[in-house]
Amino acid sequence: MSITHEGLAQEFEYVTSPGERKHISENIDGTAPIMQEMAYELIVGNNVDVDRLTSEALAEGFTANQVLDDGLLNGMAIVGVKFRDNLIFVPEVLVAARAMKAGMAHIEPILSASGAEPAGTVIMGTVKGDLHDIGKNLCIMMLRGAGFTVHDIGVDSSPEDFIDAVEEHEAEVIGMSALLTTTMPNMGRTIATFEDMGLRDEVRIMVGGAPVTQDFADEMGADAYGENAVDAVDKASELVQLLAELKSS
Amino acid sequence: MSPVVEKMTSKERVMAALADQPVDRPPVCTPTNVATVELMDLVDAPFPDANRDGEMNARLASTAYTELGFDTIAPYFSIIQESSALGCDMQWEQKDNWPTVRMSNPIWKNSSDVKVPEGFLEHQDTKAITDSIRILKQEFGDEVAIVGKTMGPWTLAYHVFGVEPFLLGTVDDPAETMKSLEALKEITILYGQAQIDAGADVLTVPDHATGDLVSGEYYRRFLMEMHQELEEELSVPLMLHICGATVDRMPYIAQTGMAAFHFDSKNDPVEAIEAVDGKIRLVGNINNPTTLYARGPEDVRTEVYAALDAGVQLIAPECAIPLKTKLENLVEIPAAIEDWIAERGWD
Repeated sequence: MSITHEGLAQEFEYVTSPGERKHISENIDGTAPIMQEMAYELIVGNNVDVDRLTSEALAEGFTANQVLDDGLLNGMAIVGVKFRDNLIFVPEVLVAARAMKAGMAHIEPILSASGAEPAGTVIMGTVKGDLHDIGKNLCIMMLRGAGFTVHDIGVDSSPEDFIDAVEEHEAEVIGMSALLTTTMPNMGRTIATFEDMGLRDEVRIMVGGAPVTQDFADEMGADAYGENAVDAVDKASELVQLLAELKSS
Repeated sequence: MSPVVEKMTSKERVMAALADQPVDRPPVCTPTNVATVELMDLVDAPFPDANRDGEMNARLASTAYTELGFDTIAPYFSIIQESSALGCDMQWEQKDNWPTVRMSNPIWKNSSDVKVPEGFLEHQDTKAITDSIRILKQEFGDEVAIVGKTMGPWTLAYHVFGVEPFLLGTVDDPAETMKSLEALKEITILYGQAQIDAGADVLTVPDHATGDLVSGEYYRRFLMEMHQELEEELSVPLMLHICGATVDRMPYIAQTGMAAFHFDSKNDPVEAIEAVDGKIRLVGNINNPTTLYARGPEDVRTEVYAALDAGVQLIAPECAIPLKTKLENLVEIPAAIEDWIAERGWD
């Protein structure tokens, strides 16, 4: 392994699962010093330096994909592991997300213009009657970082809002968020509306939010439960693949 | 086990349990809301009006005792009364949903903005609760514990600054965060004292420094001392309420001197009892969305037994219940306590 940046090497030590260590070290191995510095500054939430380093990297001739994969996403991979393992919490993820956003501002226009195929298209929203969006926003940031095209329909979203967005954007997955126990049942109502409209087979549905559990997701008829933002990315990837296999068969 | 205790009134039972004194049976408590749509219909006191009118509020709140058989009456159903009076942008919703603060439109940016508007305690939405407490005190004051509620500084900060800006600020400028919390704490005390003056026997202090958002270390660093100060300033027993995973901060919460901690079903009751080490009473922790809302009385009973077996001193739903929770599940809580005592003994 050759993580030459001292801070990044220290951050990497928080990754303890052998499989994840192998995967992340392979991604970092051999990357340019500026990319390792960018990954580190993203992890510690230094948006000013990520902004500067992204700009410098592009000026030096690195491609937007290199900046995304070797710098920003390698940093976010470690942020994701630390968040999942309760080594960091939402404030620390928010500052990392702000740093990611600073970097993405430089490369997003380039990536969009390149016409690269996204990992999938996801509609994200907080259900009807619920105005909480911090968890949803973290999921969106992680999904976009993982290459998904995400359409955010915001908070207080009715079943019809989700259906309209799925039809407009031909999305494969919808992600519903809720924080209130009073609004959680609206996840079930949204799923029922998709069924009533004959659209349930066209889309895969994942749910999440602080009071939501796997049991509740099952009872509401969701296809997946995302325990946190990192898990939501994994679940979205699985659902896109599942839907593709179903459609091809 | 407690020594033999003569039959108590609900109020005596709750006050004794909060003071770590012997009780005739563990009380059923309502640190947060137990009003449902069914109860709103029963007494013709629907949301959102029941949040904003003292008389209607008292009518709905009293059903916790008269219909459900709980030992407390808690008239503050939500978490938004102070925020509304401070000028936050509100969404009042309908009968089957909570009123909410539109936190994406925060009213303040930093600590220097924190000011209590003139007439704060006379605002319709703060006054609805104090009016209700006066009515309830008159009607039930001798027999039932009246539980008021005053939002802690952390929860107020979410509402007035917005969740994301506030949490970002804790990293960018922790000293400024402390200044904001100190200023907001005065609102907690002001409204808490007003409810004590109106007749509240106990106050719930929701302060959502939850493990779903921040670390246990954050609780110690930003809130532990502030909660100790609240305990010193407010003369009735305080029940701290924090949703979500909280075992990692329970040892700190246990040092606040508050009477009790209202905890969530995300925490195993046995682990919770170990974490607080006898230094604070625990209230909880029957699961809301899955058990009380979506399942039946047998599942409720299983959770009540688990909490009692673990040694939880006051039994309660984990948080404000879903408004369409079935009454048969709620009345099962006191029934299960009686049966648990009949089976296990209580002497």
